[in-house]
Amino acid sequence: MTNNSPNTSTLTISPLVTNKRSRDYFQTPPNLLGQHGIGQQPQPHSRVFSSPNVGKSVNSKLSTLASKDDDDEVPLTQADKLRLWRHDALMQHHYNTAIYIGDKVLSLTNDPNDAFWLAQVHYANGNYQIARDLLAGPNFEESVSCRYLAGLCLIKLEKYDEALDVVGEVNPFKTDHSVKNADGGIKLEASMCYLRGLTYSKQNNFDRAKECYKEAVLVDVKCFEAFNELINNHLMSPDEEWELLSVLNFDDADNNNELVKLLYTTRLNKYKNVQSFEEAEQRLKDEYNLDENLDILLSRADLLFIQCRFQQCLDLCEKIIQRDELNLSVLPNYLSCLHELGGKNRLFLMAHKLAENYPNHHITWLAIGIYYFSIKKTNEARVFFSRASMINPNFGPAWIGFSHTFAAEGEHEQAISAYATASRLFPGIHLPNLFLGMQYLQMNNLTLSHEYLMSSYSICPTDPLLLNELGVLFYRRTQLAKAEMYFQKALTAATALDSNAKAWSSIHCNLGHVYRRLNMLDKSLSHFNKVLRISRKDVNIYSAIGLLHLKMGKISKAIETLHIALSIQPNDPIALDLLNKGLESNLHISNKKFLDEAVSQKAVLQTPINKPTRHLKFIGEDNKRDLDLIAEDLKRGEDSSDDDDEVMEIESE
Amino acid sequence: MDFDQQLQLRFALTESAKTLQLLSLHHGAKWSSEALNGLVPLTNDQKFAVYQQSLQRSPPSFLPAKGQNDFLEFTENERLLMATSYFNFKEFDRCAHVLKDCSSSKCVFLKLYAMYLSGEKTKCDETGGVLGQQDGKIQNTKLTQISKELEQYTKTSGKGRLDDPFLLYLNGLVAAKLKDNTLAQECFYQSLTIYPFNWSCWSELIANLASFSEALAILNRFTKNARFIDNKLFHVMLLFFKVTISQEFFQQFNELYDDLTYLLEIFPKFSYLKIQKALISYNALDYVSAEDIFDDVLASDPLRLDDMDTYSNILYVMENKSKLAFLAQFAAQIDNFRPETCCILANYYSLKFDHQKAIMYYKRALALNRNCLSAWTLMGHEFVELKNSHAAIESYRRAVDTNNKDFRAWYGLGQAYEVLDMHLYSLYYYQRACALKPLDKRMWQAVGNCSEKLGEYEDSIKAYKKALSVSSDIDHAIFYKLANLHQSIKDTKNAAVYMKMCLDEEPNDGITAETSKARLWLAKYELERQNWQAAYDYSSQMTHGTSNEIEEARAIAREARVNLNRGS
Repeated sequence: MTNNSPNTSTLTISPLVTNKRSRDYFQTPPNLLGQHGIGQQPQPHSRVFSSPNVGKSVNSKLSTLASKDDDDEVPLTQADKLRLWRHDALMQHHYNTAIYIGDKVLSLTNDPNDAFWLAQVHYANGNYQIARDLLAGPNFEESVSCRYLAGLCLIKLEKYDEALDVVGEVNPFKTDHSVKNADGGIKLEASMCYLRGLTYSKQNNFDRAKECYKEAVLVDVKCFEAFNELINNHLMSPDEEWELLSVLNFDDADNNNELVKLLYTTRLNKYKNVQSFEEAEQRLKDEYNLDENLDILLSRADLLFIQCRFQQCLDLCEKIIQRDELNLSVLPNYLSCLHELGGKNRLFLMAHKLAENYPNHHITWLAIGIYYFSIKKTNEARVFFSRASMINPNFGPAWIGFSHTFAAEGEHEQAISAYATASRLFPGIHLPNLFLGMQYLQMNNLTLSHEYLMSSYSICPTDPLLLNELGVLFYRRTQLAKAEMYFQKALTAATALDSNAKAWSSIHCNLGHVYRRLNMLDKSLSHFNKVLRISRKDVNIYSAIGLLHLKMGKISKAIETLHIALSIQPNDPIALDLLNKGLESNLHISNKKFLDEAVSQKAVLQTPINKPTRHLKFIGEDNKRDLDLIAEDLKRGEDSSDDDDEVMEIESE
Repeated sequence: MDFDQQLQLRFALTESAKTLQLLSLHHGAKWSSEALNGLVPLTNDQKFAVYQQSLQRSPPSFLPAKGQNDFLEFTENERLLMATSYFNFKEFDRCAHVLKDCSSSKCVFLKLYAMYLSGEKTKCDETGGVLGQQDGKIQNTKLTQISKELEQYTKTSGKGRLDDPFLLYLNGLVAAKLKDNTLAQECFYQSLTIYPFNWSCWSELIANLASFSEALAILNRFTKNARFIDNKLFHVMLLFFKVTISQEFFQQFNELYDDLTYLLEIFPKFSYLKIQKALISYNALDYVSAEDIFDDVLASDPLRLDDMDTYSNILYVMENKSKLAFLAQFAAQIDNFRPETCCILANYYSLKFDHQKAIMYYKRALALNRNCLSAWTLMGHEFVELKNSHAAIESYRRAVDTNNKDFRAWYGLGQAYEVLDMHLYSLYYYQRACALKPLDKRMWQAVGNCSEKLGEYEDSIKAYKKALSVSSDIDHAIFYKLANLHQSIKDTKNAAVYMKMCLDEEPNDGITAETSKARLWLAKYELERQNWQAAYDYSSQMTHGTSNEIEEARAIAREARVNLNRGS
């Protein structure tokens, strides 16, 4: 192996390792080296500086400088001592010292590794250009680590094309792929792949970025950076994520392979395979004692959020926040839950806390935006969402929130363009496409809506909201059988998620409408009744029930129901129209019956008015009007589902 | 009922009062304790005997067996005590919070009940003033959460269904609020089957019954229920229910008086029973005996304000101004801010034609208790007096929302819509009123009138005929109406019959506009059929009416006379 191998990490070129003699235990810190020599017992109190002792000396030059015989204690060379000095200075953030000494070492040896470490100091100090210039020389281009650092500097300098030149547009090391990294660090090849991915993603080339990140994780599973990017930015579809997990080679992590696999499993999307997630979580808790670990709790919170169990999710988030007040990764979930559950006051507090601590972080502005969105100040909310997405253009929640502000005001065009951006940024989540579909549905553009909803469906076939939208779409196209199928699917999905019933009352409502149009009145009625049981008062539902009762000939019940509808909204035209109809039939049918029975009976104990009337000719007689009415009501019925969509759309943020 | 059973009843009511008190079901507890004190008092010897007995063994319990819940209850008892005290301070949310993690049925009940009340309180607060913008639109937001938790409880209890009487009661309350009346009734029914000594539950059940047929159905279920057949004490509670529903639905069972007497024998001093009796008399339009009973109640329990608003209604109908004034003063002295007091005062002002003030007091009564049943209806009447139909409709509507058995409110709604010329609407409301009070001819007349306005003459005839058949005293105006209706459907023959019937009542009722018109009509009728003599007789008897009518009658008389002369 050479220092040029992409299969090693920077550990092998660390001055601590290269000076080391012993292979079996942890290295003692450099400041003790001088006093006690090398090869002592581990010093637990100073682990900070120690590195795992795996690889052997790979730097031929250095090893000649150091010693020919590994077993002998050989005094350190001058350069070695300077290197330790430089290294310790870097660790203690004495940058001036480190630069000064590093520069001298480099002059002394002109070794690429020394250049790397000096550049490292510059990088840590924020002098990316200097670091880049230092590494630019032809002497160092051979060294993989130098190239890696140069690429990193270029990204920091936002010179993405140059960065690509340095790290290569495709992986140059593809051939020696299977070599195992012996030193326990992260393979430089993986890091390079990650850099390439990062560059592509900065250039908005998300497909390439995704491939590069995937490659990075495949090359070395320990390259969590790339994995994290993949997952956090939802670059892959749920299926792809699980597929990737199955092909990853966890052996790179040695005996931690099981642990890493479990940890990664908990990070994946929770759309499917909830079973394996639960399993992984359980094992992490049982075998690794990680049940109080924040990241595990975070994963659980993600799951709860996806299942729409907002209250539980909120509780968990609060637990996390209690332990780690400024845990940024919990915040998107926490904020959304607060928005869902109407915790305006807490949103306010959290936004203020964040503004104090992280005035320049995107999440701060997201929090402020959500707060304004919660108190229905859409304009302000939009300003803050856009500020968040300006700070971090890849921040999904901000984009979606930004689009929601347009959607909430019925500005379909702008909402669509904003959602489209979000969907371009996050091909792996179904939400942007879903929202796009919903917007087009509202604009009555059924073809486009169908397209987007279907593409969303291909990512996530189990989201009840999406299935509901599809149902509405087919309902609009009067493909009732299909609509029914999707609504039923939505209902099953909703029950499978075991989520808050309230969120899904619109599914019942829509099913009610479908069955009403299919003339399955009893079924329809039972669904509407379910809606009433779980949701708030809604004039349209009562109107629909009134219509059903009318159709069933229960005139008195219809009238009663329509009265309730009108008591909620006194001027609702549909309810009024239906009520007039009901009253007319009351006059023509019920009244006669009522009186007939009254006359025939001596003592009227019963109230025939509450019994169903079987004469239904009336509706036939009045067919034309009735049809008009139904048609009108239908339009209205759809509106009602749309209204619900609005609500749910916000809910699923 | 023998002494032993009376003793049992005593134990049952004592236990019930205590239990309901603990669960903060104050109305039920009040009723039970009043019933307990309304029993025939024990003699000193008896008291001593009972005391001795109680030392030896504890009194029997009528609550369902506790089972494994007992230990749970014991462990959570301390928290329950704290929660109850918060509850009594009306800190409902705090009470619910304290009991958050408890799982014994008592704690769960108190927690959810506190939540329910907290929701009701918020609803009231957010509604704003009576008949305000938001009135009636706000719902108790806690309901869904409560039913969810009840489901959860049922699941965890592992029995597959609720079997705690109080939780069933609560479930019924929630269902009733969500307008799921069938479920509500079922819950109440089950709750009462398990533990009938919970008057809160009975009264909620009664409030939930929309029609007498529903009431009969549920009564039948109770009477067929083995528990109520076997157990004399259960049966007593059922009798209370029976009496109350007969009263509320204006039905006069034959057994009603027997039942009432039987109960009064057991509970000679129980005001509730006395008042039921008074109300039955009131419904039978026997105001005097109702008044007597109320006087008696007031004498035996002078500071009682419950139901006194009904008393004031009776006095109002009797137009007994001085007594109503006395009652108003008296009630105001006891407590100015009881809804009953406000109703009495409002009635007083209404009787003095000070409708504005009356409305103000009704509003105050409703602000104090939104479910004050009669206040909504009476306020509607006041608005009618002030010719404010829309406000009247609004308050009548609230009235039927809170109590859909109030035929006055339904009738009022019909009238108000009639004023607005919306006969289609009024017909429906009159029908409802009619269904509630089928033995009142006014209802049928109203239905008939509406049908006529809507052009359904045959229906109208049926309704008027029905009106005739239900009342014992004969009203000539109905005959005249019927005659006119028959004429409208070109049935002149029957029209003539009814005109004659109308005219026949003249000796009893005196000459009125209707009889005069009938006479004129008959004169014309006979003239057309060339019965000159009859026509002459009718027209010559025409002494009252407008000048035109008399003029017309004279012309007919002249013509008849000419023809008569020519004939002879």
